[in-house]
Amino acid sequence: MRPDSPIKLVSELLDLPLLDVEGDYCGVVDDVEFKGGPGKELELKALLVGPGAYRTRLPRWGMWFVTKLAGDRVARVPIDKVRSVSSAVHLECAARDLGLHKSEAAAAKWLPRWGAL
Amino acid sequence: MNPLELTLGIMTAVGGFVDISELVFAAKAGSKFGYALIWVFALSTIGIIVFSEMCGRVAATAKQPVFSLMRHRLGLKLGLATLAASFVANLITCAAELGGVALVINYLTGAPYMLMAVVLTLLIVLSIWVLPFQWIERTYGLLGLFMITFAAALVAIHPPWGHIAGGFVPQVPHGLSKKELLTFGYFVVAIVSAVMFPYEVYFYSSGGIEEGWGPKDVLTNRLTALIGMGLGSTLAISILANSAQMFEPANVDPAIPGSAALQAAIPFGKWGLILALMGMFFAVAGAAVETCLANAYSIAQFFGWVWGRHKKPWEAPRFTITWIAIFAIALAIVLTGIDVMTLVEFAILFSILVLPLTYLPLLLLANDRKYMREYVNGALAKALGWFYFAVITLAALAALPLYLLTSGGNG
Amino acid sequence: MLRRSPLILLLLAGCSKGPEADLQYIGQARSLGAEWALVNEQANKGQLTATYVHSMRQWLRDGLTTTASSLTQPDSRYGAEICTLLAEPDDAAPDELRVHVGRLKQIEDSLESA
Repeated sequence: MRPDSPIKLVSELLDLPLLDVEGDYCGVVDDVEFKGGPGKELELKALLVGPGAYRTRLPRWGMWFVTKLAGDRVARVPIDKVRSVSSAVHLECAARDLGLHKSEAAAAKWLPRWGAL
Repeated sequence: MNPLELTLGIMTAVGGFVDISELVFAAKAGSKFGYALIWVFALSTIGIIVFSEMCGRVAATAKQPVFSLMRHRLGLKLGLATLAASFVANLITCAAELGGVALVINYLTGAPYMLMAVVLTLLIVLSIWVLPFQWIERTYGLLGLFMITFAAALVAIHPPWGHIAGGFVPQVPHGLSKKELLTFGYFVVAIVSAVMFPYEVYFYSSGGIEEGWGPKDVLTNRLTALIGMGLGSTLAISILANSAQMFEPANVDPAIPGSAALQAAIPFGKWGLILALMGMFFAVAGAAVETCLANAYSIAQFFGWVWGRHKKPWEAPRFTITWIAIFAIALAIVLTGIDVMTLVEFAILFSILVLPLTYLPLLLLANDRKYMREYVNGALAKALGWFYFAVITLAALAALPLYLLTSGGNG
Repeated sequence: MLRRSPLILLLLAGCSKGPEADLQYIGQARSLGAEWALVNEQANKGQLTATYVHSMRQWLRDGLTTTASSLTQPDSRYGAEICTLLAEPDDAAPDELRVHVGRLKQIEDSLESA
């Protein structure tokens, strides 16, 4: 599937993992952003990545649990950065170009960088 | 297909098959019902082979581990519910394994239980930090092969092989009272749960990605699952049969895990005892690693974090912090002083309740030609998959009533 | 060190008191006693390491103590039998221990068939 081909249902895209151009995981499609509105044609504008995007999809107590565990950041992936979609969404650029690396980088500060074979 | 790789894979599966719950329930099953529950072990083993092969195939062809795709199929809400439920089940199982490992060291060395729980958790954490994925799997799995001592013990005591063979036929013993019948039912459910623990599927599928499996590995995967787990189950069945021969006549209904080691001591003496305890140590420690990593995999994959021990720990920081935190929480549970046998009972109970939720998405995925292409489930895999799904659903429905009615199988 | 989960106790509190409710504890005590006898028997034959024997005796005794304290009717015949079992020295003769096990088994069987 290519980003400019018709997507029958948003459900084909939602909750797919994202892989950047280096093949690293950089999130899951947590929500999608459309351009247009009621009465007008809807066009897929961007993918929203990050637990903050769950706000519209979960009840409030579920959101509280998720925020405690994974935070509530949202990053925006414009649709033109998507190369192809299969069992994952493959991006054209590296994760850090889209700001998808921030939480991982913050966590990395806690860990020593030695000892592993 | 590399024969050395395949052999190592099979041996790892054999050594890693038995965990503390299977050990405990195999021993109890033999002492309570003789050989009558062997068929449940055999049936459940076929079930775990079916699902392991399926999820290995999914990992190799869709190149995504089961949990990543699970969220896509189930959606956010149900995916989150499955994550939460399987997290709790795997965490309790991890705590049971950590407690079990500390107990075994106590039996071997006399060192204090609580202290050993802390020390061993630290050592296990260190081993995962230092060793690359394949070494972790291989080390615990291959050293778990000391469990063969139990099979050797069975041969040494010259059991009635005809009766053991008879145990493979599905049966319910005659002349049981209503309470004994309920207890038998509980044991059936417990064995299904223990053999088909949810963590196995998550670990196996993520492990496949860790090892870089592709479509060329589909056959290796199939053989590893079939032969490795098949042979592994003979170790569990040996423990059951030993128990039937040695414990039932002595009125022993093993209430503590250490009694299982007597099965090797009786025919072989001190060396048998030590080898059996070493086997128990590595098999249970391996299970502790798998339950913890399975949970870390699920969480990281659900939220789309970088994951995997094929990366250095600091290259997958949130994943690393997660698995260390899970060990810490599991250790905390052990340090409350709760009985390992109680943890085993709860692990069994929570796991069987989660099992249908765990296996349904896997089954749907493996049946989906869009992901699986020419590796989609054939007629046999489909039939077996749905059959076992029915089995675990029935078991899940019966679990809680049976547990309560039989006071956790002790009634 | 061994503690039965409070949840199990809560669940069981729903059951009636008396020999019926104590049946599982009688069974547990019977088994723990039998395991103790087996350990001592094998230890006497030199089949076990000293550390294993010591550890097992400690855990089995712990288990028996917990079982005894869980009885709803500790002053019963079976309660007394369990206490006598607990009073045995760690290295008691296996046959001696099996006498207690036998008596507990008899009580267990008679309650089960009742």
